[in-house]
Amino acid sequence: MDAVIQLLVNGALMGCIYALITLGLSLIFGVMNIVNFAHGDLVMISMYMAFWMGSYMGLDASLTPLITFPMLFLLGIGIYYALIDRTLRQKYVTQIAVTVGLMTFLRAVAQLAWKAQPRSLPYSLISGNFQIGSATIMTSRLISALVSVLVIVLVALFLSRTWPGRAIRAVSDDLDASSLVGVNQKATYALAFGLGSALTAIAGGMLMTFQQVDPTMGLRFGLLSWCVLALTGLGSISGLLISGIIVGCAEALAMGFWDPRARLLVVYLIFILVLWLRPRGVFGRK
Amino acid sequence: MQNNFILQVENITKKFGNLVAVNNVSLNVVQGEIVGLIGPNGAGKTTLFNVISGLFPPERGRVIFKGKDVTRVVPHVICKMGMSRTFQVTRAFASMSVEDAIRVGAYNRHTNKETLEIVNEVIQFCDLGKLRRRKCADLGLAALRRVELARALATEPDLLLLDEAGAGLNPSELGNLMDILKEVNREKGITLFVVEHVMQMVMGLCQRIFVLDAGELIATGAPEEISQNPRVIEAYLGKRAIR
Repeated sequence: MDAVIQLLVNGALMGCIYALITLGLSLIFGVMNIVNFAHGDLVMISMYMAFWMGSYMGLDASLTPLITFPMLFLLGIGIYYALIDRTLRQKYVTQIAVTVGLMTFLRAVAQLAWKAQPRSLPYSLISGNFQIGSATIMTSRLISALVSVLVIVLVALFLSRTWPGRAIRAVSDDLDASSLVGVNQKATYALAFGLGSALTAIAGGMLMTFQQVDPTMGLRFGLLSWCVLALTGLGSISGLLISGIIVGCAEALAMGFWDPRARLLVVYLIFILVLWLRPRGVFGRK
Repeated sequence: MQNNFILQVENITKKFGNLVAVNNVSLNVVQGEIVGLIGPNGAGKTTLFNVISGLFPPERGRVIFKGKDVTRVVPHVICKMGMSRTFQVTRAFASMSVEDAIRVGAYNRHTNKETLEIVNEVIQFCDLGKLRRRKCADLGLAALRRVELARALATEPDLLLLDEAGAGLNPSELGNLMDILKEVNREKGITLFVVEHVMQMVMGLCQRIFVLDAGELIATGAPEEISQNPRVIEAYLGKRAIR
């Protein structure tokens, strides 16, 4: 029983970070209907950037998002204008080819720059652990989860209370109607893509406080975020958090009771089941 | 501007593949008037609206708004210049509240702080006070049409295109809408250009009417003239209706 609780605690904490990563993906998919296969690789790039700043600038991984967030935001906007904008009116196949190409490109860049071996940072300001009942909680994971939840709440407030947030929701509901009442479609798309990408910077920095990174890691985060998004559906922020935690816990249980190598298998299984039974997700709009 | 045309449509032709949806149509709208565009199903009315509002670039011709050529200008810029519209099939922002949907329109000319005031005013004007916190997806047709109108008004246009705003409304809702539209025109000085199927509405509202049939403009005139025009009767009822 204690082992189960321990696994669930770890899984739930990881799940909050998964929810944050998925929020970025969901923003991009919900607004411009683009399947961004490179999303997980942006997480991987963010982690490497955190690694770099940690090892060469001595910056703590948990603080790197302060720098990487604006960097990834600009990178996202650049990707939007250079690649995505040109494919919006193309066939789905073209869009998939472009984002899969981007994914391969980012992975190759990471392999060139950092070689294939996993990298990690030796310590973090928020390392250590404490005990609640029978469960051991790693401070770094707890703080990462709290930061993720906080950022998710901030993004939700941004979407519901501000001008750009309302524009993003309007464009996502009806592109033509919003442009005819004065919403700049391109700028709003670029903003959504930039913000969606920038959220991976926060996730990446927090993950580096307790994880190592390697160039193939993007696949895992990509798959995970797709699974969480499928489970949530579009348009529910609280559902995103619940789905993230469900996937995180399922993954943790699979690793604890079956085999660490089975983690993605379980995630994939959930993905397929959801697509089969509830293709529009469990929490999203109808 | 030497003339007081707010909108000039010059020789617009729009094709979809081999189908000519709008064929060499020219028309003018004078600042401050209410004009109607009628015609049988498939006559190209909505297509012409889509060309004017910047959604479809035409194959030929020009659209001139307030003296400036806007033929290939993107919709949100046209909106900034003072043109907005509503849709035949209502397209309110489904996941947003009435208040938020209207607010999106208000940002066209105002900063965040000012928008709330605009929203309040427009909501009162369109009688949406009771519905302001409801989600657009939960509203009925008559309310949705008012939300679309309110959202377009919030952009503070000088020219408002209304695409079948009366379709599907019952007589009392229709009367209500016509009252609001007359007020929009009279009090706010907004020029109205309406596409309409509901004859009662066109005849009661418009000072001038254009008739479109199979993509071509077949008649222009005051409502009484139009209803007597043999070509119009033919287009609507077929040849045998003319004695």
